[in-house]
Amino acid sequence: MNSTVKSNQLIKEFKHDLSGLSVNERQVLEKLIKAARLIAPIYQKQQDPKYPGANFYPHDVEKTEIENAAKKDPSLLDPYTIVKRKNGKLISVPYHLEYRQYLLPIAKQLLEAAKITINREFGKRLELQADALLDGTYDVADIYWLSMRPYKIDIVIGPIERYDDRLFFTKCAYQTWVGVMDESETQEAVQLKETIYASHQRIFAPFHKIDFLDKIQVRVDNTLIFSGLITRFGFTSTNLPNDVSLMEKYGSEITVFKQSFDEKFKTLHHPIFHRVFEKNFQISYPVDILKRGSLRNTVLHEISHPLMRYRDAESRLKELFPIFDEISASVYGVKACGALLLKNAISQKELEAIIVMFICKSFSWWLDYLKQPSTIHYTKGYAIALNYFLENGSLKETDGISWPNFTKLFVSFEELATILERIISVGSYKEAQQFVDRYGSLDVFQRFQSRLIGVKI
Amino acid sequence: MPQTKKIFLTAEGLEVLQRELDNLVRITRPRVTERVQRAREFGDISENSEFDSAKEELGLVEGRISELERILKNYQLIVKRPKAEGFVVIGSTVIVEVDGEIDEFTIVGSPEADPSKKKISNESPVGQALLGAKAGEAIEVTTPIVRARYKIKEIK
Repeated sequence: MNSTVKSNQLIKEFKHDLSGLSVNERQVLEKLIKAARLIAPIYQKQQDPKYPGANFYPHDVEKTEIENAAKKDPSLLDPYTIVKRKNGKLISVPYHLEYRQYLLPIAKQLLEAAKITINREFGKRLELQADALLDGTYDVADIYWLSMRPYKIDIVIGPIERYDDRLFFTKCAYQTWVGVMDESETQEAVQLKETIYASHQRIFAPFHKIDFLDKIQVRVDNTLIFSGLITRFGFTSTNLPNDVSLMEKYGSEITVFKQSFDEKFKTLHHPIFHRVFEKNFQISYPVDILKRGSLRNTVLHEISHPLMRYRDAESRLKELFPIFDEISASVYGVKACGALLLKNAISQKELEAIIVMFICKSFSWWLDYLKQPSTIHYTKGYAIALNYFLENGSLKETDGISWPNFTKLFVSFEELATILERIISVGSYKEAQQFVDRYGSLDVFQRFQSRLIGVKI
Repeated sequence: MPQTKKIFLTAEGLEVLQRELDNLVRITRPRVTERVQRAREFGDISENSEFDSAKEELGLVEGRISELERILKNYQLIVKRPKAEGFVVIGSTVIVEVDGEIDEFTIVGSPEADPSKKKISNESPVGQALLGAKAGEAIEVTTPIVRARYKIKEIK
């Protein structure tokens, strides 16, 4: 079938040795992987990079037409409906009805896995997830998932990320991953999280700041499969759910996808390091320390997300919100390393590697953006950081990025973290727009374009 | 002979390390040694991955035993002093204000340090800078990259 062939481009399976798992666990995983593969054809129906509203809305519709119609029918802007035109009128259809024929076999696999798993709590989770796919009760499934004890096997499946809706940043696209916890890496990530959160007690916290740090779980997984949107974006980590009110009540789960991270480091971040930094500088940073720095960067980004949650940020900053949401977490993550260094939780060299990999990742997002414009909010955010550092002289370009002045650069990270948090906590849309206009130019990346030839996404 | 540096330990920390050493010597070392011997019996050790892995594990165990023996030969017990002393010593729990945030931690010797559990080494930049400081004082903590100003709110 044609759609199956195409949808294979939306599935990525990773190799990982499962011999340490029990027979029962391997049987459960087999079912989950089958369910995961079936998500890609649904995502294929939703995506269309040619249109800012993908296939979530009629292609000829104007943004204002939807906004006006949504005043009478708010379901048009529900995250889990698609919008169609019927007799000239805009109507909404819930995902679980629109895609029912595709969802039935997925739910069947989940229920079969639920039946055979010997972990009853996980079995219940799979049952609720199957129900959610078929009746739209996503919150119920999410709440159970966030409340259960960590289990070595994890699956996240359903309509989740909003990046493909460039019209309203509202409609969720289908995706899934299946992973098996890497216990030692998870332990280190948990320690990093607890060290940072332990010292994060604000003296004056704004009333609209959301505080749920005690309810955040973090895990590093050996990823077995990506399917749907996540395959296209190739994420190395995520923090779910996206719904701020759910997060506040039930917390969130941070997942780092180890195989996806390894692949990105090898094919993107490390080659970029060799291309954008001066030769003499490169000698001081062996691959192992850079890889650890890059992984910590990923974990720090996710750990910092919950520190930047403000109730009204999305409605105040509108489509600019994802730019500030992503870059503020990345910048704050580096800033938080200051306390880690002072407490001997990391060494100076390790902090330098984290900063160096932050810079490499900014170029990585730009290369990603050239391939898929829907990652623009990441790229713009990193452009803001790079332009800010170049403007105040903490980064210099000569023949590539020369030896960074880490002292000055770290002060710049602290300053920028403060500015970004101010915008995300109380800034107006106009202020946010002015800041993006001033620092968000992508020209900074284009100056390095010739150096990056040959780096493959 | 080089002077051996004193390593500070609390009574609880001492007990934990003694227990760990005892466990390593009585249980782990014999188990891993037996694993190496069994792997050796598999045949040609030049292409024996089980032998390599067992040897590696034994190396880690022996390394940890040596480290613990060194610590337990050179430790100095932290005696809990009355709070009235009024300045930060090893063993003090301090509440500080830094960059608009409140932080609380206990200063311990390096073997017990675990920043995720609010135990900071006396050899860390923060630990070194705070030792001897009094409540109400503001201390500048600096490294080549990071500098921060810690105001001591309370010493417990």
